[in-house]
Amino acid sequence: MELAWYALLGAFFAGYLVLGGYDYGIGLLLARRTAPADRRATLNAAGPFFLGNEVWLVAAVGILFGAFPTLEGELLSGLYPAVVGALTGVILVTVGVQLRSRPAGAGARSAWDRVVAVGGLLAALGWGAVLAGLLQGVPLHADGHVTGVTHLFTPFAAGVGLALVALVAAHGATFLTLRLPAATAVPAGRLARRLIPVALAAVGAATVLGLLSEGVRAAAQRPAVGVLLLALLVAALVGARVALARRRPGLAFAATSAALALPVALVGAILWPYALVSTVDPAASLTVADAAASAPTLRLLGWLTVPLVPALLGFQAMCWWVFRGRTDGRAPVYW
Amino acid sequence: MDTLLLARLQFATTTSLHFLFVVVTLGLVTLLVGMQTAGFLTGNPKWERLTRFWGQLYVINYVLGIATGLVMEFQFGLNWSGLSRYVGNVFGAPLAIETLVAFFLESTFLGMWIFGWHRLRPVVHLALLWGVAITAYASAFWIMVANAWLQNPVGYQVRDGIAHLTDFSALLTNPTFGMAFGHVVAASLLTGGMLMAAVSAWHLLRRTPDHALFRTSLRIGVVTAAVSISLVQGFGFAQFGPVATAQPTKFGGTPAADALVAEWTTTFGPGDYEPPALSSVGLGFMILIGFGLGLLWLLVPLLWRDWIIRLRFPLWLLLLALPLPFVAVILGWIAREVGRQPWVAYGLLPTDRAVSGVDPGVMLASLIGFTLLLGTLAVTNWVLLAKHAARGAADPPLGRRPDHRPADDARPETVLAG
Repeated sequence: MELAWYALLGAFFAGYLVLGGYDYGIGLLLARRTAPADRRATLNAAGPFFLGNEVWLVAAVGILFGAFPTLEGELLSGLYPAVVGALTGVILVTVGVQLRSRPAGAGARSAWDRVVAVGGLLAALGWGAVLAGLLQGVPLHADGHVTGVTHLFTPFAAGVGLALVALVAAHGATFLTLRLPAATAVPAGRLARRLIPVALAAVGAATVLGLLSEGVRAAAQRPAVGVLLLALLVAALVGARVALARRRPGLAFAATSAALALPVALVGAILWPYALVSTVDPAASLTVADAAASAPTLRLLGWLTVPLVPALLGFQAMCWWVFRGRTDGRAPVYW
Repeated sequence: MDTLLLARLQFATTTSLHFLFVVVTLGLVTLLVGMQTAGFLTGNPKWERLTRFWGQLYVINYVLGIATGLVMEFQFGLNWSGLSRYVGNVFGAPLAIETLVAFFLESTFLGMWIFGWHRLRPVVHLALLWGVAITAYASAFWIMVANAWLQNPVGYQVRDGIAHLTDFSALLTNPTFGMAFGHVVAASLLTGGMLMAAVSAWHLLRRTPDHALFRTSLRIGVVTAAVSISLVQGFGFAQFGPVATAQPTKFGGTPAADALVAEWTTTFGPGDYEPPALSSVGLGFMILIGFGLGLLWLLVPLLWRDWIIRLRFPLWLLLLALPLPFVAVILGWIAREVGRQPWVAYGLLPTDRAVSGVDPGVMLASLIGFTLLLGTLAVTNWVLLAKHAARGAADPPLGRRPDHRPADDARPETVLAG
């Protein structure tokens, strides 16, 4: 039962990184696009999906709170600076994208665009640091509380944060290749092709830093699974590069999506059966089973929410289907 | 400065801001559903124009509702990890249900509604707005279930110091839930109605174009606000009984309150178990505002033959009264939340045991940072709302035909046209 909920939590967080990831990626790319019309086209490519993307995070945290209350408290307060950074980024992107076109002046709009770009950067860095924080463990004491915040500031956390920035940028460019009108998709495709090797290098650097990190070596329960998933991640990125070169943006987007979902699976699998590993007291490490809510709560949530998950996914799929295809002159512009 | 005080300040700031935006969301979406449905049934283009204008304000307001709501959701884990540790098994369930069943769908529907004008069939587009409204109410329902549980913990059993869920139906029949939910919903409708009446009054006073349009929304706003204020008062006074029974110390001075304090002193040690005076002050002023707004009923007869517009001073009254419902919801929230102190979960979990073991410096940085961030965004949002409200219903960006060049964007959008 706990495993099923843990998988659902992972699925929603991975879904968030995939969907929110391209929002942050295109947010970052705004910094490179200077023509106002280009910027507006970029944001409206995500247009109808934007609100539906961000809520995957809200749902993931909801599951975390409902099904893993102990983990929720220790994870968020134990990784305080990373979570606050990510949250700030998410807020800036959410507000910036929705409000940037409301003022009419070009100056105000480009100021909002900078807010979106900074937000995308912070969100990617923050979530990368959260994933790194999980992998390197936290100073969790036997009384169940995490002390201090300095444990988070390691080269590995910085490396994973930067790797996630590179991944969302490549993912965002791939999304634009798939979604922009055919004429403007070509430069986006070139950019995506250039960004994927950068992402590969960043993932490689983060891996090396992880191998050098004592915390990560001690926390990893199943290094073999980690290596396998990492290999899959690299393969997904290489696949995306090949697909872009062959002008198959749909396939490339599927591949970069996999590259953003895989880190979540990697963290979950490599730490299993633990959810949060303690660096100070092995006995204080929190297993997934310990972190889960008690059986009556999980049963209740199962009855009330699981039957609705197909409906949630169905309405999201409806949104993707209704607004599928490239944006063109007929596409509504609101952001 | 200790961590507890800072965490409480941060919670108070974030929640107050969140509340100011969500009451408007809930109130306006209800009126929007009415307008778009009327347009669908009658085919009168007036309703589509009204839906676009008020929908534009609704959508701008919604932005800060999400932003502050995100901080709310994370704050439980960041600052109040004791809450999830000791009572998360019970308290977390309604919150998880809210995010999955309500908010997730609400935002998905709203995204499609914003971009679905002129693209989806009218019936589908209307259904999406109904979906947004229904899930918004579901959201308020589950959040109030969660809050009512903190006011009056029920349906649980403590084992090894941790609360476990035993009876979920008790959460739904909680005496601190039903009337409070009605009260909050009515207050949202009151705020939505007042906002609609005040913005319309401004346009009518300034004699801007679209007299007929704003006359309609003025009438809708005044009637909604008048009916809602009576509901607010009814649901408000109906709470005194159940709250006094569930929380004897809130109003204090009764034998039951003294007995409870004596019991807590034995179980939890000596301490100050009286809620701060701020709580009853908040309650008093809120009731005053509630009675004052009851005078809205005097404006209803003036709708006859448009006397409300011809006399002009009722329009000024509506405009000047706009801050009142916002002040009242904050005061009401203070009465409810501060009146529960010193408990997070009344009689079960003291506030000082729920706070995270975070360093005061970190907490202070977080308080200042988020207050500045959300405060700036809130003010910016209100400025944008005021500007769009003042701009009138000529051609709001929401629901603009894609083949029309945006009036607010003089540059040719070659990319989008191509």
